[in-house]
Amino acid sequence: MQELLDPVVLGQLLIGGLLAGALYALLACGLNLVFGVMRIINIAHADLMLVGAFAAWVLFATLGLNPVVALALVVPAAFLFGYGLQAVLIERVVGRPLLASLLATYGVSILLVNLGLLIFGSDYKSVPVWQGSFVVGEFVIPKPRAAAGAVAVALALGVYFFLERTRLGKAMRAVSEHPHVATICGIDTRRIRMIAFGLAAAMAAAAGAMLSMIYSFSPLTSADFIQKCFAIIIIGGMGNFLGALYGGLLLGVVEAYVGGVLTTQWAEAVAYLLLVLVLLVRPTGLRGAADVR
Amino acid sequence: MTEPLLAIRGLETAYGAVQVLFGVELDVHPGEIVAVIGPNGAGKSTVIKTVIGLARSSKGSIRFAGEEISRMAPHRIPALGIGYVPQGRIVFARMTVEDNLEMGAFLIGERARRRRAVDAVFAQFPRLHERRAQLAGSLSGGEQQMLAIGRALMLDPRLVILDEPSLGLSPKYVDLIFEQLVDLKRQGRTLLMVEQNAARALELADRGYALELGRNRYSDSGAALLANPEVRRMYLGGAGRA
Repeated sequence: MQELLDPVVLGQLLIGGLLAGALYALLACGLNLVFGVMRIINIAHADLMLVGAFAAWVLFATLGLNPVVALALVVPAAFLFGYGLQAVLIERVVGRPLLASLLATYGVSILLVNLGLLIFGSDYKSVPVWQGSFVVGEFVIPKPRAAAGAVAVALALGVYFFLERTRLGKAMRAVSEHPHVATICGIDTRRIRMIAFGLAAAMAAAAGAMLSMIYSFSPLTSADFIQKCFAIIIIGGMGNFLGALYGGLLLGVVEAYVGGVLTTQWAEAVAYLLLVLVLLVRPTGLRGAADVR
Repeated sequence: MTEPLLAIRGLETAYGAVQVLFGVELDVHPGEIVAVIGPNGAGKSTVIKTVIGLARSSKGSIRFAGEEISRMAPHRIPALGIGYVPQGRIVFARMTVEDNLEMGAFLIGERARRRRAVDAVFAQFPRLHERRAQLAGSLSGGEQQMLAIGRALMLDPRLVILDEPSLGLSPKYVDLIFEQLVDLKRQGRTLLMVEQNAARALELADRGYALELGRNRYSDSGAALLANPEVRRMYLGGAGRA
Protein backbone atom coordinates (compact mmCIF):
# COMPACT_ATOMS: atom_id res chain seq x y z
CA MET A 1 0.00 0.00 0.00
CA GLN A 2 2.84 2.33 0.88
CA GLU A 3 4.27 2.39 -2.67
CA LEU A 4 0.92 3.67 -3.95
CA LEU A 5 1.57 6.99 -2.26
CA ASP A 6 4.86 7.26 -4.09
CA PRO A 7 4.56 10.31 -6.35
CA VAL A 8 6.12 8.44 -9.25
CA VAL A 9 3.50 5.69 -9.05
CA LEU A 10 0.72 8.22 -8.65
CA GLY A 11 2.02 10.23 -11.58
CA GLN A 12 2.36 7.12 -13.70
CA LEU A 13 -1.24 6.14 -12.96
CA LEU A 14 -2.38 9.68 -13.70
CA ILE A 15 -0.66 9.70 -17.08
CA GLY A 16 -2.00 6.28 -17.98
CA GLY A 17 -5.48 7.30 -16.83
CA LEU A 18 -5.50 10.53 -18.79
CA LEU A 19 -4.36 8.79 -21.97
CA ALA A 20 -7.04 6.12 -21.66
CA GLY A 21 -9.55 8.75 -20.62
CA ALA A 22 -8.82 10.78 -23.74
CA LEU A 23 -10.14 7.90 -25.86
CA TYR A 24 -13.26 7.61 -23.69
CA ALA A 25 -13.67 11.36 -24.06
CA LEU A 26 -13.42 11.32 -27.84
CA LEU A 27 -15.95 8.52 -27.99
CA ALA A 28 -18.36 10.09 -25.51
CA CYS A 29 -18.18 13.53 -27.15
CA GLY A 30 -19.60 12.04 -30.35
CA LEU A 31 -22.42 10.33 -28.48
CA ASN A 32 -23.23 13.57 -26.67
CA LEU A 33 -23.10 15.61 -29.89
CA VAL A 34 -25.77 13.43 -31.46
CA PHE A 35 -27.87 13.57 -28.31
CA GLY A 36 -27.47 17.33 -28.09
CA VAL A 37 -28.37 18.06 -31.71
CA MET A 38 -31.24 15.63 -32.23
CA ARG A 39 -32.17 14.16 -28.81
CA ILE A 40 -31.33 10.67 -29.99
CA ILE A 41 -29.36 8.16 -27.96
CA ASN A 42 -27.26 6.22 -30.41
CA ILE A 43 -26.88 2.70 -29.05
CA ALA A 44 -24.70 1.84 -32.06
CA HIS A 45 -22.13 4.51 -31.22
CA ALA A 46 -19.51 2.09 -29.84
CA ASP A 47 -20.11 -0.21 -32.79
CA LEU A 48 -19.11 2.66 -35.04
CA MET A 49 -15.96 2.81 -32.95
CA LEU A 50 -15.28 -0.86 -33.72
CA VAL A 51 -15.89 -0.21 -37.42
CA GLY A 52 -12.98 2.20 -37.10
CA ALA A 53 -10.90 -0.35 -35.20
CA PHE A 54 -11.47 -3.05 -37.81
CA ALA A 55 -10.85 -0.60 -40.64
CA ALA A 56 -7.50 0.25 -39.04
CA TRP A 57 -6.76 -3.47 -38.61
CA VAL A 58 -7.56 -4.21 -42.28
CA LEU A 59 -5.47 -1.26 -43.49
CA PHE A 60 -2.61 -2.45 -41.31
CA ALA A 61 -2.89 -6.09 -42.38
CA THR A 62 -3.17 -5.33 -46.10
CA LEU A 63 -1.24 -2.12 -46.67
CA GLY A 64 0.85 -2.01 -43.52
CA LEU A 65 -0.59 1.40 -42.63
CA ASN A 66 -0.03 2.70 -39.12
CA PRO A 67 -3.45 3.49 -37.58
CA VAL A 68 -2.47 7.12 -37.08
CA VAL A 69 -1.79 7.39 -40.80
CA ALA A 70 -4.91 5.37 -41.55
CA LEU A 71 -6.98 8.11 -39.86
CA ALA A 72 -6.66 10.05 -43.11
CA LEU A 73 -8.83 7.37 -44.74
CA VAL A 74 -10.88 6.14 -41.79
CA VAL A 75 -12.11 9.53 -40.59
CA PRO A 76 -13.54 10.82 -43.90
CA ALA A 77 -15.03 7.41 -44.70
CA ALA A 78 -16.71 7.22 -41.30
CA PHE A 79 -18.02 10.77 -41.71
CA LEU A 80 -19.65 9.83 -45.02
CA PHE A 81 -21.02 6.62 -43.50
CA GLY A 82 -22.57 8.54 -40.59
CA TYR A 83 -23.90 11.25 -42.89
CA GLY A 84 -25.54 8.60 -45.08
CA LEU A 85 -26.89 6.63 -42.12
CA GLN A 86 -28.55 9.79 -40.83
CA ALA A 87 -30.05 10.52 -44.25
CA VAL A 88 -31.52 7.06 -44.87
CA LEU A 89 -32.39 5.88 -41.37
CA ILE A 90 -31.94 8.16 -38.37
CA GLU A 91 -33.84 11.08 -39.97
CA ARG A 92 -36.93 8.89 -39.84
CA VAL A 93 -36.87 8.74 -36.04
CA VAL A 94 -35.91 12.36 -35.30
CA GLY A 95 -38.57 14.02 -33.18
CA ARG A 96 -40.27 10.69 -32.51
CA PRO A 97 -40.61 9.17 -29.04
CA LEU A 98 -37.27 8.07 -27.60
CA LEU A 99 -38.20 4.40 -28.01
CA ALA A 100 -38.26 4.75 -31.81
CA SER A 101 -34.67 5.97 -31.96
CA LEU A 102 -33.51 3.48 -29.34
CA LEU A 103 -34.94 0.62 -31.40
CA ALA A 104 -33.57 1.99 -34.67
CA THR A 105 -30.04 2.46 -33.35
CA TYR A 106 -30.21 -0.87 -31.49
CA GLY A 107 -31.00 -2.42 -34.86
CA VAL A 108 -27.95 -0.74 -36.37
CA SER A 109 -25.88 -2.07 -33.48
CA ILE A 110 -27.06 -5.67 -33.97
CA LEU A 111 -26.41 -5.39 -37.69
CA LEU A 112 -22.87 -4.03 -37.23
CA VAL A 113 -21.92 -6.54 -34.52
CA ASN A 114 -23.11 -9.49 -36.58
CA LEU A 115 -21.55 -8.21 -39.79
CA GLY A 116 -18.33 -7.95 -37.80
CA LEU A 117 -18.66 -11.51 -36.49
CA LEU A 118 -19.45 -12.75 -40.00
CA ILE A 119 -16.45 -11.06 -41.59
CA PHE A 120 -13.85 -11.15 -38.82
CA GLY A 121 -15.05 -13.87 -36.46
CA SER A 122 -14.97 -13.48 -32.69
CA ASP A 123 -11.19 -13.83 -32.22
CA TYR A 124 -9.46 -10.88 -30.68
CA LYS A 125 -7.43 -8.67 -33.00
CA SER A 126 -4.85 -6.03 -32.34
CA VAL A 127 -2.57 -3.79 -34.36
CA PRO A 128 0.99 -4.09 -33.08
CA VAL A 129 2.71 -0.87 -34.01
CA TRP A 130 5.24 1.32 -32.23
CA GLN A 131 6.69 -1.06 -29.73
CA GLY A 132 8.54 0.55 -26.88
CA SER A 133 7.98 3.53 -24.66
CA PHE A 134 8.87 7.14 -24.21
CA VAL A 135 10.72 7.72 -20.98
CA VAL A 136 10.11 11.17 -19.53
CA GLY A 137 12.05 11.60 -16.30
CA GLU A 138 10.83 8.77 -14.11
CA PHE A 139 7.68 8.17 -16.10
CA VAL A 140 7.29 5.50 -18.75
CA ILE A 141 4.70 6.05 -21.47
CA PRO A 142 4.12 3.31 -24.04
CA LYS A 143 4.36 4.88 -27.50
CA PRO A 144 1.00 3.63 -28.85
CA ARG A 145 -0.79 4.95 -25.76
CA ALA A 146 0.88 8.30 -26.07
CA ALA A 147 -0.05 8.53 -29.76
CA ALA A 148 -3.63 7.41 -29.17
CA GLY A 149 -4.10 9.85 -26.29
CA ALA A 150 -2.60 12.75 -28.19
CA VAL A 151 -4.70 12.10 -31.29
CA ALA A 152 -7.86 11.74 -29.19
CA VAL A 153 -7.28 15.01 -27.36
CA ALA A 154 -6.44 16.83 -30.59
CA LEU A 155 -9.57 15.57 -32.36
CA ALA A 156 -11.91 16.27 -29.44
CA LEU A 157 -10.53 19.80 -29.06
CA GLY A 158 -10.71 20.27 -32.83
CA VAL A 159 -14.41 19.43 -32.84
CA TYR A 160 -14.90 21.64 -29.79
CA PHE A 161 -13.37 24.61 -31.58
CA PHE A 162 -15.42 23.82 -34.65
CA LEU A 163 -18.56 24.06 -32.49
CA GLU A 164 -17.44 27.22 -30.70
CA ARG A 165 -15.86 29.22 -33.48
CA THR A 166 -17.16 28.36 -36.93
CA ARG A 167 -20.40 29.42 -38.56
CA LEU A 168 -21.43 25.82 -39.20
CA GLY A 169 -20.47 24.74 -35.67
CA LYS A 170 -22.47 27.57 -34.13
CA ALA A 171 -25.40 26.63 -36.34
CA MET A 172 -25.14 23.11 -34.91
CA ARG A 173 -25.39 24.51 -31.38
CA ALA A 174 -28.29 26.70 -32.45
CA VAL A 175 -30.12 23.65 -33.80
CA SER A 176 -29.48 21.79 -30.56
CA GLU A 177 -31.04 24.64 -28.55
CA HIS A 178 -34.01 25.61 -30.71
CA PRO A 179 -34.43 23.78 -34.02
CA HIS A 180 -37.42 25.90 -35.05
CA VAL A 181 -35.68 29.19 -34.40
CA ALA A 182 -32.59 27.89 -36.20
CA THR A 183 -34.84 27.11 -39.17
CA ILE A 184 -36.16 30.64 -39.30
CA CYS A 185 -32.55 31.83 -39.38
CA GLY A 186 -32.29 29.94 -42.66
CA ILE A 187 -30.44 26.94 -41.23
CA ASP A 188 -31.29 23.64 -42.89
CA THR A 189 -31.70 21.55 -39.74
CA ARG A 190 -31.76 18.26 -41.67
CA ARG A 191 -28.37 18.99 -43.19
CA ILE A 192 -27.01 20.02 -39.79
CA ARG A 193 -28.19 16.72 -38.30
CA MET A 194 -26.52 14.77 -41.10
CA ILE A 195 -23.24 16.63 -40.50
CA ALA A 196 -23.55 16.09 -36.74
CA PHE A 197 -24.07 12.36 -37.13
CA GLY A 198 -21.22 12.22 -39.66
CA LEU A 199 -18.94 14.00 -37.19
CA ALA A 200 -19.98 11.69 -34.36
CA ALA A 201 -19.30 8.62 -36.52
CA ALA A 202 -15.93 10.06 -37.53
CA MET A 203 -15.01 10.68 -33.88
CA ALA A 204 -16.08 7.17 -32.90
CA ALA A 205 -14.15 5.58 -35.76
CA ALA A 206 -11.06 7.64 -34.95
CA ALA A 207 -11.31 6.47 -31.34
CA GLY A 208 -11.58 2.91 -32.68
CA ALA A 209 -8.52 3.24 -34.89
CA MET A 210 -6.55 4.52 -31.90
CA LEU A 211 -7.98 1.79 -29.70
CA SER A 212 -6.71 -0.83 -32.15
CA MET A 213 -3.13 0.04 -31.19
CA ILE A 214 -3.59 -0.42 -27.45
CA TYR A 215 -6.34 -2.98 -26.85
CA SER A 216 -7.29 -6.36 -28.24
CA PHE A 217 -10.78 -6.17 -29.67
CA SER A 218 -13.51 -8.26 -31.23
CA PRO A 219 -16.88 -7.18 -32.61
CA LEU A 220 -18.31 -7.83 -29.15
CA THR A 221 -15.97 -5.36 -27.44
CA SER A 222 -18.44 -2.55 -28.16
CA ALA A 223 -20.73 -3.61 -25.29
CA ASP A 224 -18.29 -2.52 -22.56
CA PHE A 225 -17.64 0.75 -24.27
CA ILE A 226 -21.20 1.81 -24.93
CA GLN A 227 -22.10 1.22 -21.28
CA LYS A 228 -19.15 3.30 -20.10
CA CYS A 229 -20.04 5.92 -22.68
CA PHE A 230 -23.55 6.24 -21.25
CA ALA A 231 -22.06 6.57 -17.79
CA ILE A 232 -19.68 9.28 -19.04
CA ILE A 233 -22.32 11.45 -20.68
CA ILE A 234 -24.54 11.23 -17.62
CA ILE A 235 -21.55 12.05 -15.38
CA GLY A 236 -20.53 14.95 -17.62
CA GLY A 237 -24.01 16.24 -18.43
CA MET A 238 -26.31 15.01 -21.20
CA GLY A 239 -25.81 16.94 -24.44
CA ASN A 240 -22.86 18.89 -23.09
CA PHE A 241 -19.77 18.47 -25.26
CA LEU A 242 -17.21 19.62 -22.71
CA GLY A 243 -18.98 17.58 -20.04
CA ALA A 244 -18.30 14.43 -22.07
CA LEU A 245 -14.67 15.48 -22.42
CA TYR A 246 -14.23 15.98 -18.67
CA GLY A 247 -16.29 12.89 -17.86
CA GLY A 248 -14.15 10.73 -20.14
CA LEU A 249 -10.88 11.97 -18.66
CA LEU A 250 -12.24 11.58 -15.15
CA LEU A 251 -13.31 8.00 -15.78
CA GLY A 252 -9.92 7.16 -17.30
CA VAL A 253 -8.06 8.50 -14.27
CA VAL A 254 -10.38 6.92 -11.69
CA GLU A 255 -10.18 3.57 -13.49
CA ALA A 256 -6.39 3.78 -13.51
CA TYR A 257 -6.20 4.51 -9.79
CA VAL A 258 -8.73 1.87 -8.85
CA GLY A 259 -6.95 -0.62 -11.11
CA GLY A 260 -3.68 0.30 -9.45
CA VAL A 261 -4.92 0.15 -5.87
CA LEU A 262 -7.39 -2.71 -6.13
CA THR A 263 -7.75 -4.90 -9.20
CA THR A 264 -8.70 -4.31 -12.83
CA GLN A 265 -12.04 -6.03 -12.12
CA TRP A 266 -12.85 -3.22 -9.71
CA ALA A 267 -11.73 -0.72 -12.30
CA GLU A 268 -14.35 -2.12 -14.69
CA ALA A 269 -17.08 -1.45 -12.15
CA VAL A 270 -15.98 1.98 -11.07
CA ALA A 271 -17.75 3.78 -13.93
CA TYR A 272 -21.10 2.82 -12.47
CA LEU A 273 -20.05 3.70 -8.94
CA LEU A 274 -19.06 7.12 -10.23
CA LEU A 275 -22.35 7.35 -12.09
CA VAL A 276 -24.36 6.65 -8.94
CA LEU A 277 -22.28 9.16 -7.00
CA VAL A 278 -22.83 11.92 -9.54
CA LEU A 279 -26.54 11.18 -9.75
CA LEU A 280 -26.78 11.46 -5.97
CA VAL A 281 -24.79 14.66 -5.64
CA ARG A 282 -25.43 16.45 -8.91
CA PRO A 283 -28.15 14.82 -11.01
CA THR A 284 -27.61 17.15 -13.98
CA GLY A 285 -24.00 16.02 -14.40
CA LEU A 286 -20.75 17.87 -13.82
CA ARG A 287 -21.44 20.45 -16.48
CA GLY A 288 -25.05 20.72 -15.32
CA ALA A 289 -27.19 20.70 -18.42
CA ALA A 290 -30.33 21.54 -16.50
CA ASP A 291 -31.38 23.81 -19.34
CA VAL A 292 -31.33 21.04 -21.93
CA ARG A 293 -34.83 20.80 -23.30
CA MET B 1 -52.56 51.00 -54.03
CA THR B 2 -49.34 49.14 -54.67
CA GLU B 3 -49.17 45.40 -55.12
CA PRO B 4 -49.23 43.71 -51.70
CA LEU B 5 -45.87 42.42 -50.47
CA LEU B 6 -47.66 39.62 -48.65
CA ALA B 7 -51.04 38.34 -49.82
CA ILE B 8 -52.84 35.59 -47.93
CA ARG B 9 -55.95 34.12 -49.51
CA GLY B 10 -58.39 31.53 -48.17
CA LEU B 11 -55.82 30.15 -45.73
CA GLU B 12 -56.75 26.96 -43.89
CA THR B 13 -54.36 25.34 -41.41
CA ALA B 14 -54.84 22.42 -39.07
CA TYR B 15 -52.70 20.85 -36.37
CA GLY B 16 -53.41 17.18 -36.83
CA ALA B 17 -57.18 16.77 -36.71
CA VAL B 18 -57.76 20.20 -35.17
CA GLN B 19 -58.43 22.86 -37.78
CA VAL B 20 -57.42 26.32 -36.61
CA LEU B 21 -57.74 28.58 -39.65
CA PHE B 22 -60.84 28.63 -41.85
CA GLY B 23 -60.06 30.80 -44.84
CA VAL B 24 -58.08 33.76 -43.49
CA GLU B 25 -57.41 36.69 -45.85
CA LEU B 26 -54.68 39.21 -45.16
CA ASP B 27 -52.58 41.74 -47.09
CA VAL B 28 -49.44 43.58 -46.12
CA HIS B 29 -48.30 46.38 -48.41
CA PRO B 30 -44.73 47.69 -48.54
CA GLY B 31 -44.02 50.18 -45.75
CA GLU B 32 -47.12 49.24 -43.79
CA ILE B 33 -47.51 48.11 -40.21
CA VAL B 34 -50.24 45.53 -39.92
CA ALA B 35 -51.51 44.19 -36.60
CA VAL B 36 -53.44 40.97 -36.16
CA ILE B 37 -55.52 40.91 -33.00
CA GLY B 38 -57.93 38.46 -31.49
CA PRO B 39 -58.56 36.45 -28.35
CA ASN B 40 -56.62 33.30 -27.48
CA GLY B 41 -57.44 30.53 -29.91
CA ALA B 42 -58.39 32.93 -32.69
CA GLY B 43 -55.50 31.60 -34.75
CA LYS B 44 -53.34 34.74 -34.77
CA SER B 45 -50.06 32.96 -34.21
CA THR B 46 -51.04 30.16 -36.54
CA VAL B 47 -51.40 32.64 -39.40
CA ILE B 48 -47.81 33.74 -39.09
CA LYS B 49 -46.47 30.28 -38.30
CA THR B 50 -48.04 29.20 -41.59
CA VAL B 51 -46.43 32.12 -43.43
CA ILE B 52 -42.96 31.21 -42.20
CA GLY B 53 -43.49 27.52 -42.83
CA LEU B 54 -43.50 26.20 -39.26
CA ALA B 55 -47.12 25.16 -39.79
CA ARG B 56 -48.52 23.79 -43.07
CA SER B 57 -51.66 25.03 -44.75
CA SER B 58 -54.16 22.58 -46.16
CA LYS B 59 -55.80 25.12 -48.45
CA GLY B 60 -55.34 28.63 -49.74
CA SER B 61 -52.36 30.59 -50.91
CA ILE B 62 -49.58 32.69 -49.42
CA ARG B 63 -47.83 34.93 -51.92
CA PHE B 64 -44.77 36.95 -50.99
CA ALA B 65 -43.58 39.48 -53.57
CA GLY B 66 -45.67 37.62 -56.12
CA GLU B 67 -44.22 34.20 -55.35
CA GLU B 68 -46.25 31.33 -53.87
CA ILE B 69 -44.44 30.29 -50.67
CA SER B 70 -46.92 28.03 -48.88
CA ARG B 71 -45.15 24.84 -49.99
CA MET B 72 -41.63 26.10 -49.56
CA ALA B 73 -39.17 24.43 -47.13
CA PRO B 74 -39.16 26.65 -44.02
CA HIS B 75 -35.39 27.24 -44.04
CA ARG B 76 -35.76 28.85 -47.49
CA ILE B 77 -38.19 31.52 -46.25
CA PRO B 78 -35.61 33.89 -44.64
CA ALA B 79 -33.68 34.19 -47.89
CA LEU B 80 -36.81 35.63 -49.55
CA GLY B 81 -36.63 38.60 -47.20
CA ILE B 82 -38.84 37.61 -44.26
CA GLY B 83 -37.51 38.09 -40.74
CA TYR B 84 -39.29 36.47 -37.80
CA VAL B 85 -39.35 37.30 -34.11
CA PRO B 86 -40.71 34.21 -32.34
CA GLN B 87 -43.20 34.25 -29.51
CA GLY B 88 -41.66 34.14 -26.04
CA ARG B 89 -38.51 36.04 -27.13
CA ILE B 90 -36.66 32.82 -27.88
CA VAL B 91 -32.92 33.36 -28.10
CA PHE B 92 -30.10 30.83 -28.15
CA ALA B 93 -29.52 31.07 -24.40
CA ARG B 94 -26.24 29.17 -24.34
CA MET B 95 -24.68 31.32 -27.06
CA THR B 96 -23.34 34.85 -26.76
CA VAL B 97 -25.33 37.88 -27.86
CA GLU B 98 -22.97 38.30 -30.78
CA ASP B 99 -23.29 34.65 -31.85
CA ASN B 100 -27.08 34.95 -31.69
CA LEU B 101 -26.92 37.81 -34.16
CA GLU B 102 -24.47 35.88 -36.29
CA MET B 103 -27.04 33.08 -36.51
CA GLY B 104 -29.51 35.63 -37.84
CA ALA B 105 -26.97 36.27 -40.59
CA PHE B 106 -26.28 32.57 -41.14
CA LEU B 107 -27.21 32.84 -44.82
CA ILE B 108 -24.45 35.37 -45.43
CA GLY B 109 -21.54 33.12 -46.30
CA GLU B 110 -18.88 35.80 -46.38
CA ARG B 111 -17.40 36.54 -42.97
CA ALA B 112 -16.74 40.25 -43.57
CA ARG B 113 -20.30 40.88 -44.74
CA ARG B 114 -21.66 38.97 -41.77
CA ARG B 115 -19.53 41.16 -39.54
CA ARG B 116 -20.97 44.31 -41.12
CA ALA B 117 -24.52 43.06 -40.62
CA VAL B 118 -23.79 42.40 -36.92
CA ASP B 119 -22.27 45.87 -36.55
CA ALA B 120 -25.30 47.48 -38.16
CA VAL B 121 -27.61 45.90 -35.59
CA PHE B 122 -25.23 46.84 -32.77
CA ALA B 123 -25.43 50.43 -33.98
CA GLN B 124 -29.20 50.26 -33.72
CA PHE B 125 -29.22 48.55 -30.32
CA PRO B 126 -26.29 49.91 -28.28
CA ARG B 127 -27.45 47.87 -25.30
CA LEU B 128 -26.81 44.66 -27.23
CA HIS B 129 -23.35 45.92 -28.13
CA GLU B 130 -22.57 46.45 -24.45
CA ARG B 131 -23.55 42.89 -23.75
CA ARG B 132 -22.18 41.30 -26.89
CA ALA B 133 -19.92 38.75 -25.12
CA GLN B 134 -22.56 37.72 -22.56
CA LEU B 135 -24.58 34.54 -22.87
CA ALA B 136 -28.02 35.42 -24.17
CA GLY B 137 -29.56 33.39 -21.36
CA SER B 138 -28.21 35.92 -18.85
CA LEU B 139 -30.06 38.88 -20.40
CA SER B 140 -33.26 40.33 -18.97
CA GLY B 141 -36.52 39.56 -20.74
CA GLY B 142 -36.61 42.92 -22.50
CA GLU B 143 -33.04 42.58 -23.67
CA GLN B 144 -33.75 39.11 -24.99
CA GLN B 145 -36.68 40.50 -26.97
CA MET B 146 -34.38 43.20 -28.31
CA LEU B 147 -31.93 40.49 -29.32
CA ALA B 148 -34.66 38.47 -31.00
CA ILE B 149 -35.68 41.58 -32.97
CA GLY B 150 -32.06 42.32 -33.86
CA ARG B 151 -31.59 38.75 -35.04
CA ALA B 152 -34.62 39.07 -37.30
CA LEU B 153 -33.16 42.24 -38.84
CA MET B 154 -29.80 40.71 -39.72
CA LEU B 155 -30.63 39.96 -43.34
CA ASP B 156 -32.25 43.39 -43.82
CA PRO B 157 -35.63 41.73 -44.52
CA ARG B 158 -38.41 43.30 -46.61
CA LEU B 159 -40.97 42.08 -44.08
CA VAL B 160 -40.53 41.56 -40.35
CA ILE B 161 -43.05 39.30 -38.64
CA LEU B 162 -43.42 39.57 -34.87
CA ASP B 163 -45.29 37.01 -32.79
CA GLU B 164 -46.54 38.60 -29.55
CA PRO B 165 -43.57 40.91 -29.04
CA SER B 166 -44.77 42.26 -25.68
CA LEU B 167 -46.09 39.02 -24.20
CA GLY B 168 -44.80 38.32 -20.70
CA LEU B 169 -42.67 41.47 -20.46
CA SER B 170 -42.77 43.87 -17.54
CA PRO B 171 -44.60 47.18 -18.29
CA LYS B 172 -41.29 49.03 -18.51
CA TYR B 173 -40.05 46.68 -21.20
CA VAL B 174 -43.38 46.68 -23.02
CA ASP B 175 -42.89 50.43 -23.46
CA LEU B 176 -39.32 49.88 -24.60
CA ILE B 177 -40.28 47.26 -27.17
CA PHE B 178 -43.09 49.44 -28.56
CA GLU B 179 -40.63 52.33 -28.81
CA GLN B 180 -38.43 50.06 -30.87
CA LEU B 181 -41.32 49.12 -33.11
CA VAL B 182 -41.99 52.83 -33.62
CA ASP B 183 -38.34 53.17 -34.60
CA LEU B 184 -38.67 50.37 -37.09
CA LYS B 185 -41.74 52.08 -38.52
CA ARG B 186 -39.79 55.32 -38.85
CA GLN B 187 -37.09 53.48 -40.74
CA GLY B 188 -39.75 52.53 -43.25
CA ARG B 189 -39.77 48.83 -42.40
CA THR B 190 -42.76 46.68 -43.20
CA LEU B 191 -44.11 44.89 -40.14
CA LEU B 192 -46.71 42.23 -39.55
CA MET B 193 -47.38 41.71 -35.87
CA VAL B 194 -49.59 39.51 -33.78
CA GLU B 195 -50.23 41.09 -30.41
CA GLN B 196 -52.45 40.36 -27.44
CA ASN B 197 -52.04 43.95 -26.34
CA ALA B 198 -54.56 44.94 -29.01
CA ALA B 199 -54.92 48.60 -28.04
CA ARG B 200 -51.23 49.39 -28.27
CA ALA B 201 -50.83 47.34 -31.43
CA LEU B 202 -53.68 49.20 -33.14
CA GLU B 203 -52.30 52.58 -32.03
CA LEU B 204 -49.09 51.73 -33.82
CA ALA B 205 -50.52 49.94 -36.84
CA ASP B 206 -51.63 51.42 -40.15
CA ARG B 207 -54.14 48.63 -40.52
CA GLY B 208 -55.45 45.83 -38.37
CA TYR B 209 -57.22 42.52 -38.72
CA ALA B 210 -59.37 41.15 -35.95
CA LEU B 211 -59.69 37.38 -36.08
CA GLU B 212 -62.28 35.21 -34.42
CA LEU B 213 -62.13 31.42 -34.33
CA GLY B 214 -59.85 31.24 -37.34
CA ARG B 215 -61.82 33.63 -39.55
CA ASN B 216 -61.56 37.31 -40.43
CA ARG B 217 -63.98 39.31 -38.32
CA TYR B 218 -63.02 42.96 -38.84
CA SER B 219 -60.39 44.61 -40.97
CA ASP B 220 -59.84 48.35 -41.14
CA SER B 221 -57.30 51.04 -40.40
CA GLY B 222 -55.79 50.83 -36.93
CA ALA B 223 -57.52 54.03 -35.86
CA ALA B 224 -60.91 52.93 -37.19
CA LEU B 225 -60.69 49.59 -35.40
CA LEU B 226 -59.74 51.39 -32.18
CA ALA B 227 -62.79 53.61 -32.58
CA ASN B 228 -65.16 50.77 -33.43
CA PRO B 229 -67.33 50.06 -30.34
CA GLU B 230 -67.85 46.41 -31.34
CA VAL B 231 -64.10 45.90 -31.63
CA ARG B 232 -63.55 47.68 -28.34
CA ARG B 233 -66.08 45.49 -26.62
CA MET B 234 -64.85 42.20 -28.11
CA TYR B 235 -61.10 42.71 -28.39
CA LEU B 236 -60.09 45.52 -26.09
CA GLY B 237 -61.81 44.34 -22.94
CA GLY B 238 -64.83 46.61 -22.58
CA ALA B 239 -63.86 50.26 -22.44
CA GLY B 240 -60.39 49.42 -23.63
CA ARG B 241 -57.24 51.21 -22.84
CA ALA B 242 -57.26 54.97 -23.02
